[in-house]
Amino acid sequence: MLIPRKVRHRKQHHPSRSGAAKGGTAVTFGDFGIQALENSYVTNRQIEAARIAMTRHIKRGGKVWINIFPDRPITKKPAETRMGSGKGSPEWWVANVKVGRVMFELSGVTEEVAREAMTRAIHKLPMKCRVVRREEA
Amino acid sequence: MAEISIAATIRNEFGKGAARRARRDGLVPAVIYGHGSTPRHVTLPAHQLMLALKAHNVLLDLQLEGGAQLVLPKSVVRHAIKNSIEHVDFIEVRRGEKVIIDIAVHTAGDADRDGILEHVNNTISVRAEATAIPTELILDIQGLKIGHSKYASDVVLPAGVELVSAPDTIIVHLADKPTHDEPSAPAPTDVAPAAPAAE
Repeated sequence: MLIPRKVRHRKQHHPSRSGAAKGGTAVTFGDFGIQALENSYVTNRQIEAARIAMTRHIKRGGKVWINIFPDRPITKKPAETRMGSGKGSPEWWVANVKVGRVMFELSGVTEEVAREAMTRAIHKLPMKCRVVRREEA
Repeated sequence: MAEISIAATIRNEFGKGAARRARRDGLVPAVIYGHGSTPRHVTLPAHQLMLALKAHNVLLDLQLEGGAQLVLPKSVVRHAIKNSIEHVDFIEVRRGEKVIIDIAVHTAGDADRDGILEHVNNTISVRAEATAIPTELILDIQGLKIGHSKYASDVVLPAGVELVSAPDTIIVHLADKPTHDEPSAPAPTDVAPAAPAAE
């Protein structure tokens, strides 16, 4: 699973979930991509599950790019704990994905295979998504 | 490529409020500059512009109040979700002038089926006459072997078109297919951060 090698601050504030993606809204590396249609946190487990769903379907053809990285820690206090006593411990790593962001890209397979693989990957993700093609030039 | 004629209106109000009002009225704000002239701010009908910009590097003949102006789209800003055109930068060109422009490279032929064709660069820069810009360039990849690449110098250019990109720019590379389901990154032993910082 994807995880930062080292972090400056172990516990951070919650990332903002408003606004739209400023960049990374087009398919750049591959031929097809998965574009987010909602703002959401995507955990490293979800990214890995989506990647596995895609690579298992395309078998030995094609190449997958992951354009997002889970670099924000989310903390959680243990169950049945009284409030106070400081911030909880880091539980998850998430990528703060904004609407419009192309999260995964795929190339080297036919459109039919790519769409099926990406549909399987979308089922592993926490937000509404769509499959987009690369724009020419 | 044929020229497309569109009527344009000079705009006198600027800023996001004016731009949003224009978009609500079915217009697209745009700017025309080039040849050292003062930039001119215009609005164009959104639907006609959308149809015209379906082809890339299209030569537009803008009908302004002071006369016609030949322009090329330099930068097109689109909405990330709706894909509607939000703003266009046009660069002025003259008939017979040579311009440097990025052209899409398409592949033809069959490479080795055991490899994955990676498009390293989708476009190359060329110098061409503004009124005779090719719509696309063809790169023959017939018989390309795994581990080999095709370069910008391999692209067949039409007459009157010169290559501006470095000749050794890789256009496509035929990579070997992975033999197994490779993990995306080395799996850590614990979910906790590797290097807790001093707080």
